[in-house]
This record gives sequence, C-alpha cells and structure tokens, in this order.
Amino acid sequence: MYAVKRKVLYCGVVIVILIILLHPDRNGTRNYYYISKENILNCLRPEIANNLSSTALADCDYYDIIHDDTTLPLSIAEGDLVENHRIKEGGEYAPVECRPKFSTAIIVPYRDRAEQLRGFLVYMHLFLRQQHIHYRIYVVEQVDSRPFNRAKLINIGARAAMQAGYPCLVLHDVDLLPLKLANIYACTELPRHMSCSINKFRFVLPYLNKFDGVVSISSKQYKTVNGMSNQYFGWSGEDDDFYKRLEAHSIELSRFEPSTSQYHMVAYEGQLKRPEKSESLANAKERMTSDGLNSLKYTEVATVLHPLFTHIMVDL
Amino acid sequence: MIAQENLPYGPKVTKKVDTSAILPFIILPLLLVVATISRSVTLVVMIFIGMGAIYAQSRPRQKNRSQFFYSWTLSSSACMFLVFELVVLSYLEITQLEHFVFLLLVGSTWYFFHKMKAVADFELATGTSKGKEYSPVLTSDSYYCQICQLEVNERFFHSIWWDCCILRPNYSYFLAGQVFAFATLLYGTNLGLTTICQPFVLYDNILLPEDCTDVYYDFNLAISFVACVYGLGYFLVTALVLLRQLLIYIPKYSEPKWRKIVNVLTV
Repeated sequence: MYAVKRKVLYCGVVIVILIILLHPDRNGTRNYYYISKENILNCLRPEIANNLSSTALADCDYYDIIHDDTTLPLSIAEGDLVENHRIKEGGEYAPVECRPKFSTAIIVPYRDRAEQLRGFLVYMHLFLRQQHIHYRIYVVEQVDSRPFNRAKLINIGARAAMQAGYPCLVLHDVDLLPLKLANIYACTELPRHMSCSINKFRFVLPYLNKFDGVVSISSKQYKTVNGMSNQYFGWSGEDDDFYKRLEAHSIELSRFEPSTSQYHMVAYEGQLKRPEKSESLANAKERMTSDGLNSLKYTEVATVLHPLFTHIMVDL
Repeated sequence: MIAQENLPYGPKVTKKVDTSAILPFIILPLLLVVATISRSVTLVVMIFIGMGAIYAQSRPRQKNRSQFFYSWTLSSSACMFLVFELVVLSYLEITQLEHFVFLLLVGSTWYFFHKMKAVADFELATGTSKGKEYSPVLTSDSYYCQICQLEVNERFFHSIWWDCCILRPNYSYFLAGQVFAFATLLYGTNLGLTTICQPFVLYDNILLPEDCTDVYYDFNLAISFVACVYGLGYFLVTALVLLRQLLIYIPKYSEPKWRKIVNVLTV
C-alpha cells in the first residue's frame, strides 16, 4: 500500500514538473496556423499605386512565383547589380514585360550600418525583381544621437510611401534577408508576419503574437490603427505595442508556411537583439488614438533619391 | 562521559556533514561563472577542470574515497540542467517537442544511473560477495575493491564519479545510463549552441552551430555558452567511456557465445 502511494506521488510530481517545463510560454513553436500555398493567391490584395502606368498588355502571373521552391544564395549580397537593371532613381522598379498587380513600399528603419545596407539593397533588388511586383525601397535614417526609435522611423517612412500612393507597406529590418522566392512581397487581406522562420532563432517562432522583423500591412490598415507608437526609444517593445493596436481593432495576423517564411539574419558585432518577450509600455490601447501617425513630429533633414533607394534622413 | 551524551546540556551530537560532498556545489558554479569573462578564461577554466579530472582518475583508487567526486557529478548535471532550463529556454527558440525529447533523455539517464546506484547499494548491504574473508583465492581476473569492500571481477570496476562499484548486476544499467548520457549531452549542447550561436542547416534538416563569436557581450549568452562547452567536455568523456566498453568489455562479455558459434563451425 505504502509503495503504491509513493509511486502515485512520484508520478504526480513528474507530471506537474513536465507541465511546468513544457508550458507553451516557455517554448517556441514551429507549428502555427498559416495560409496554405493553394490559398495564397486568393488571400493577396491586388492593388497598384495610382501613379504607376504600365504599357504592358498582359497581367503578370504570380502562380509560378508562389510555387517556386528556390532558395536564393546569400552570396549575391556581396556582388553587384547587373548592368541595365532598369531600377529607377529612388529604388523604384516595375516589370516591363507584364503589368504588375501589386505595388509595395519597403520601409527600412536604419542607422549606422552602411556595409549591411549595401548588401541588403543589392540582395533585395535582385530578389524583388524576380517577383514581378512594382516596389520602391525607402530607407529612413535617424541622424540624431538619441536612442534608435524604430517605430517612429517606420511611421515616417510609411507616411512618405502613402503620400506616394503605395497601397501596401512592408516594414523591414535591415539585417533580414528573405530566402525563398515564394515569399511574395505583397499584402494579404490580413497583416502578415513575413519573417516567422529566422535562421538565427533556429527557424522557430518564439511566440504566436510576435509581429516584428518583416511585416506586411496594407496602408489602409496601417492608417486605421494609427501606425505605430512614437514613444519607444531603444530596442524592443514597439512590436508588441503594434500587435496590441491590431488586436484592439480585431485585425488578426496571418503567416505563410514556415518553409516559405525563411529569413537569414545577418550577424554584426555585438548583436544583442534577442527575441525575448519585452515589456511594452502600459496602456498601449488607450494611447492608440493619440500616439502614432497623427502625432508624428520630426524634422526632415533631407530626402535624397539614390540609385537604389529613397533616403529619408530625419531628426526625431 | 558516556552518560553526558544523553544529557540535554551535553554537547549536541549532530550528523556530521561531509564538507567534501558540498564543495563541488560551490566550486563548479563559481568556475563556470568565472569562465564567462572571456574566451581565453573559458579555455583556461576548462583545461583546469580537465586536468583535475585526469589527475583524480590517475590517483590510486584507495585515496579517492571521498564523496567529492560523486558530488561533482551531481553538481555538474544540476548546473547544466539549470542553465538549460532557466537561461537557454528563456530565448524561446526551442520548440515544445524538442524540449520534451530533451526531458525524456534526461529522465532516462537519471533513471538508469539511479537504478545503477540502487543495485550497487543493495549489493553492498546484502550482496553475497561481501566480506573481507570472502575470497581467500582471488582468481586472475578479480581483484578486491578496498572502497566497497567487495570482490570485483576484472571486467567490472569501481567508479569514483558514481561512488559505487560497477558489478555484473548493475553493469547493464551503467551501460544504458552512459548511452543516454551520451545522447542527452549531444542533444542538449546542440540545442543550446544553436540557440545562442548563428546556426546553419546541414542536409536540409539538421541544425548545427556555426558562428559563436559574439557570446561574451551578455552574461546569459556567455553562461549558456560556457555550460555547453562544459557539456561537450562531458560528452567527450562519455564517448571515451563507451568506446572503452565497446573495445574491452563487450567482446569479453560475449566471448563464451562467440566460442560456441566458432566451435559449432569447426566441428
């Protein structure tokens, strides 16, 4: 009798320990709900910028791109762009052989990583050209010496892109490179977390509500949630705050399958950015209406149209 | 004097705690924390621990009677496990399934070593081979273990790291424990290192660590890295032990069977 009791006790203790240790909050995941390949075309929002005029007769076909399994070699970031790349001043490109269905503004908050930016731009142009979309790359640089404010820079870039008539925004970290051609840089009906399988994080999604790195959202939705908060100086927190804004408007997230969403994170010296759940400022939802796109204040130092990107320099 | 011991005001008879059994629980965490300072300090600490282990192993067994070594084993496993659970897991880069497999391996390792200890203790208490006068004539492949006060067959031995004899009854548990320890250490260090370092993919589905240059900037990263390096050291030791078992003990263990087969063939 005593032995049985002891065994039951041991089993109980083991089960409790297992439950505590294996709790989903303590573990990342590779299983999450995603849009299946067959459904991607139905979920995309075909919409182009109003200033784009294409002379091509046929519409671009995206079926092959979405079902393409190729992984781009990272080495192309170290090379140069081929001659006659037809990229317009300001880093804008539209395919000539067909009429694109999607216009996307890629907004890159940036400071002090010239070498990384160079590789990023070369890689992204080579990558995006193969997707037959109309796009433009905006690099928003913080020139003052205050802590880096990623969210505010994104707001500034988003405002510029929306003024230029882009219906879809991709908010992009400069250290992430998309690996799969099938990961199309266009907006889905719901905002999409595009970088949910990063090599640095063992291709694991740390937690389900994570919404940073590379994110696509339609301009309309971005306006609805009043953009991101302007108050996060220094790393982390702004992404969870942004998620709370979407949640408050009951806008859900979507993702593509893990193998499609693979990204490579470019390492740099002293990298400390970790995917820990960071504390965001309290009352994110209350601040939503007063803090964001409508309260955006900054001084624009210069806007330069470089051959590969539009460079917006700001003093926050 | 004898009566005094029972008197309430007499000197209290407390159970004496062996300091050598507690020491590893202080020394090892300290060493691991010190090793987080820089790459070269990690190297020095690891070499120091390795040399110490080799020195202890090479001393005559009778001198290593203290509980220190067994405590060292316990302390090492506890430190590595805690670093994994509290630090590596906090990066949220390990999936539930991977974590479960890891815990299963840890549990199996613990079970087999626990069983091995229990059987050895049982042998010690009630075993038929106990007693100084037991074996007046030691056969050529036997010797007398001074620590356990047991006659130990040559293919079995006394392990200072487990503070018990590995005999015929618990040999299989010992072997199973080593195999699971091998697997646990390999899997755990791989999980840890791919979490804190830049990983790369081998053959489409195996993740391996590649670039661990920037781990010393942050204490949590550094302690995970140091624990993984320490775990790899242990991994090497278990690999050597297993190799030794394979090369020496297993052929001997199965020799009679082989002889039978060979006899059948020659007849």
